[in-house]
Amino acid sequence: MSLYPAFARPRDLGQAAEIMGSLSTGAMIIAGGQELMPSVNYGALMPEVYIDVGQIAALKGISEEAGAIQIGSFTVHRDVQNNDLIQSKLPLLSYAAAQIGGGMQVHNRGTIGGNIVAMHPLYDILPSLLALGAEVDVLSDVGEVRVALADLMKDARHGLGSESLLVRVHLKPMMPGAGWSYEKLKITAGGYGSANAAAIVTLDSSKITSLRVVVGAVSALPVDMSDTLSDCCGQAWSAHLAEEVEARSSAEIKEPLSDHQGDGEWRRAMAGVMARGAIEAAIKKAG
Amino acid sequence: MEDMLEDTVLVNLRVNGKLHELEIPAHKSLLDLLREDLNMTGTHMGCMTGHCGACTVSIDGRVAKSCITLAATLSRAKITTIEGLTEEDGTLSPIQQAFWDEAGFQCGYCAPGMLMCTAELLESNSDPSDSEIETALAGNLCRCTGYQSLKRAVKAAAVKAKEKAS
Amino acid sequence: MGEQTSETEGYVGRSVRTIEGRGPVMGKATYTNDISFPGQLHAHILRSPHAAANIKSIDTSGAEKVAGVVRVVTGAEAAKYIDPIPHYIDPAVFGGRSATIRCLALDHVWCFGQPVAVVVAEDKRTARYAVSRITVDYEVTTPVIDVEDALKDGAPMVVPGWDANMIMEVPFGSGDVEQAFSSADRVIKTDVKVHRFSTQPIETRTYNGVYDAGTDSITLHGTVQNPHPLRNVLSKILRMPENKIRVHAPVIGGAFGMKMHGHPEEGMVCFLSKLIGQPVKWVEDREECLLIGAREQVHSVELAVTKDGMILGLRDHYLANTGAPSSCPGWGMAFLTGLTMPGPYSVQNVDVQLSAVVTNKPGWNASRGYGKEVTALALELSVDNAARELGIDPVDMRMKNFIKKDQFPYDSPTGLIYDSGDYAGVMQKAMDAIGYDEWKTKQEEALKEGRYIGIGVGFELTPEGGTLPGTLVGGYDSSTVRVAPDGSVRVLTGVTTPGSGNPTGIAQIVADELGVRLDTIEVVQGDTTSCPYGFGNSSGRSTIVGGGSAAKAAVEVREKIIKVAAALMEVDESSVTMKEGVIASGDKIIDLEEVCYACYTRAYDVGSVIEPPLEATAMFKPGLVRHTPNEKGQINPYPSYSNAAYVAISEVDVNTGVVKLLKFSVAHDCGKVINPILVEGQACGAIMFGIGAALAENITFDENGRQLTKSLMDYVMPRIGDVPSITLTHHDSPNPVNYKGLKGAGEAGVGGSAAAIVNSVNNALSPFGVMMTETPLTAPRVWSAIQAAKKAQPQRKVA
Repeated sequence: MSLYPAFARPRDLGQAAEIMGSLSTGAMIIAGGQELMPSVNYGALMPEVYIDVGQIAALKGISEEAGAIQIGSFTVHRDVQNNDLIQSKLPLLSYAAAQIGGGMQVHNRGTIGGNIVAMHPLYDILPSLLALGAEVDVLSDVGEVRVALADLMKDARHGLGSESLLVRVHLKPMMPGAGWSYEKLKITAGGYGSANAAAIVTLDSSKITSLRVVVGAVSALPVDMSDTLSDCCGQAWSAHLAEEVEARSSAEIKEPLSDHQGDGEWRRAMAGVMARGAIEAAIKKAG
Repeated sequence: MEDMLEDTVLVNLRVNGKLHELEIPAHKSLLDLLREDLNMTGTHMGCMTGHCGACTVSIDGRVAKSCITLAATLSRAKITTIEGLTEEDGTLSPIQQAFWDEAGFQCGYCAPGMLMCTAELLESNSDPSDSEIETALAGNLCRCTGYQSLKRAVKAAAVKAKEKAS
Repeated sequence: MGEQTSETEGYVGRSVRTIEGRGPVMGKATYTNDISFPGQLHAHILRSPHAAANIKSIDTSGAEKVAGVVRVVTGAEAAKYIDPIPHYIDPAVFGGRSATIRCLALDHVWCFGQPVAVVVAEDKRTARYAVSRITVDYEVTTPVIDVEDALKDGAPMVVPGWDANMIMEVPFGSGDVEQAFSSADRVIKTDVKVHRFSTQPIETRTYNGVYDAGTDSITLHGTVQNPHPLRNVLSKILRMPENKIRVHAPVIGGAFGMKMHGHPEEGMVCFLSKLIGQPVKWVEDREECLLIGAREQVHSVELAVTKDGMILGLRDHYLANTGAPSSCPGWGMAFLTGLTMPGPYSVQNVDVQLSAVVTNKPGWNASRGYGKEVTALALELSVDNAARELGIDPVDMRMKNFIKKDQFPYDSPTGLIYDSGDYAGVMQKAMDAIGYDEWKTKQEEALKEGRYIGIGVGFELTPEGGTLPGTLVGGYDSSTVRVAPDGSVRVLTGVTTPGSGNPTGIAQIVADELGVRLDTIEVVQGDTTSCPYGFGNSSGRSTIVGGGSAAKAAVEVREKIIKVAAALMEVDESSVTMKEGVIASGDKIIDLEEVCYACYTRAYDVGSVIEPPLEATAMFKPGLVRHTPNEKGQINPYPSYSNAAYVAISEVDVNTGVVKLLKFSVAHDCGKVINPILVEGQACGAIMFGIGAALAENITFDENGRQLTKSLMDYVMPRIGDVPSITLTHHDSPNPVNYKGLKGAGEAGVGGSAAAIVNSVNNALSPFGVMMTETPLTAPRVWSAIQAAKKAQPQRKVA
């Protein structure tokens, strides 16, 4: 807590690592500020040092290398939405980024890295990234490490804080012909999501050959339903299977959130409705 | 390492065309910088959490909520505020004129968000549909109008802007 | 755009853009927070984290050590310098219990968020930080949160020393209720629970107190709807005469009742400025703004009906959770709910009783609708429920029971005198506007596809222009019209605007009555030093009484101008016309400026026919108000009864419970329409409030009375995508006792539109037998109701 915080503006990853390594707790990395600033404004957070990572070129840019797409963590939502590479090879991600709340203003400033490290249960990006099997590069004083996003989230310190910096996201392009969908349930236009689901489906004639489904906004972290629902593979979508998917997805939510977006019982039920809806919509697009 | 830490931050901002070099504390929001340091009070405080949009400005050609933008991170930005929409000779821009003529606002407190977002919308879309207007203004709350007059004003602004361009 | 009603020439009736609308689009309108002074200091308030506690001690030393802190003040210190806050509407005047309200708590807190101490510092961030360095030793006591608990025997007392948690119990009604109920075919009971929701203008409250030692006087610049009445309140708090106090309300960024006074911070900044000798500003956080509640009422409406739907009698003993005592006028809303029963319905046997209960929740302030929106919700949901029970069409039931248009003026069973109306005509217009019958067909077709479309109606009677005896809730108002030597016009008026456009409405009226061009008029409001005495903005009154008084003053000034014009032209006065700034007599035309200049400069020759200057102050006091109780002890505080009908079309996703509005219509009787585009704005804005109320906006608490709703993430207000297309029609039945037949256009719509939405959802879900009468209808609630209905009626086959 400091009334008179200091400011650091590392020019490259090396400087960033040096600063992070030398500071005690109380330093905060700031990118777009969309997540951090509300807490700062209300005095809930009073960082001692702001580490502005906006000058680090390595955090920027979207590129394709060796069959994988890299997205710098400082990429704003709007660029994720409108980038040609992402639109053509990761349409699910581009679409999910467009569903982020807060309007154009937040799309213009909020970054994919900030959205990830917030690990906010109601935010829009994580379910799609998990469905896409994203990996991330994390920089700390021990250097840069690549980890699966799913593994990073298992770490209790997943908020990353001031000791480590999310550098970029690695994603494999979606399979040609794969169907995808991101479904988001809101009570009203201004509400945060009460439940959401990202799905990627491949079909062989009408039979499901692969299925990725991640449900968000219903528990503390997104829940990957892909294993639970793996026996959908080999089957054709039917009313019966849809009901089963809905019931099993709901049952998978052990500790539903209960907050202003809705009570736990409803959220659990909506997990199923969203999973079912996302798969259904993805199947329609597949082929 | 210590030499990388600054107690105050030097920022160079071009605001509505005018260059300002300011030494500011690290914690300052862009909203406070505009209102307190530059005495430009057209940009408004409504919630300080990024929900209402009354603090909207344009940074390097893109709208942003100035209450959740840390000023120190904008070392060489070009900012346009609602005051900057008015032309140098004092003429209202087609957007401002349309919102006034169509009773777009009542109290006008939300005007920065509505006008700046409309300006950005019309730059790339000269004839927006209802749903495109809804997307463009989604980050802003208005408590007076029920949004009917705002929608009407955006459409009138599009027509006026086209007339002016031709 | 609203329909144009330009049947006459002139400005009244035309959609002209607002004269005050230029500033906001340029970013040049000056709101309170835009004003700062040399030496400006900033206050931040320490608020109670507990709903009920005794304050054992406060240690301010930590805050005082923070660099930049100028002063820390606790309730005990403040009490040495200032007195309690007088009530805007003192319950004691009406025989109720009246609590002592202070700017800062003394030794006891009775709600979450109550001010306990204040820090004044050189900047707002330092003040906020220093507040976190104050330590308070609280002895937490058991709070009462629910009305039912508050009324139990042995319940803790919210106000120490009271013998019941009750401001007052008020019976309303008359007729032979027993007879009505015993002779009825059915008695249908509907429990209507209305939740706590708030107005939340985008501009939060802001006050800047500026003490001037040289004159020993105070100026309060603030977000204030009622400057003159507040001046009286401040004089009591500050122990200063009113002539040493100026209240100045700059441009207001929305109010809707929230900026009516009684708030602790108004007197606090004035006192702090005097104590310190520098200007002190306080800007409300959104979190603080959300503490101001309204409308948490539990109704149990019993309708005694015949089998064909005639309402013979009505009973409703209702409880209002008004929270902890406050000096704001909010609690009076609960009173108005009962007084406005049975709304538009021709029912004379009425037994309504209010219990205005206090609890350890934060208190209320006035909110658009002022309790009349809750009347509409309670009645309209009950009528729909009764219609369903009786198997008759809900619109037919309303039409059958509406007061007929030849029954006005109408004496209501609670003592009100309704001026005029055509409720059935209004309802029919709203239905025609939306294509009611076509929607019924669409609904049937949709149901075959498994889509649930609902059609709901709602009616709201909104008495406007209210005045209460013995309070500074005044019914009349005054205006001054000044014409300068150059012919330009300044109107100074006691009413204020929250941003609704009434200065333009008043200017339109003055332009016509005076005979000048609209663009030559400036309207000045919101300043106790320059404006004539008035009661500011509330109860849809500004155009009624501001316009009415300005019209009278304009006529007086016009007479003077015409006299001198006649003298200058050497013609007979009766031949002179003056319209849009052109003065003529036959073929002769004379310049307005020439005449006005002569009025001022030729007082000893041609100007001697008048008394200069060109200025008049006039008062307008509407009729129909009766403050002397009738034989039943009833008063009529309202001169004017605006009314409106609403039709909502919604679609419910039965898998999720999400309600989507498809279309809306309103027919509105606000009497004569001065400016259609402004009335449209008021109507659509109120409908948006109704949408928020019906579907999402909600202020919630934990079991210890701590407020959970803290930001606009939690308090979800409608956005542009939530509001469907609204069709507006006017149904003008002029008020016979008001200037130009005005009825007021600012307040109506919150309850009627919310009721229409609730009714539409119940209508959509009628195949399930769902009937929800507790607001808001959030998706989880709707979904639960569907689940419960499915369980209760598993045999029912639903498409």
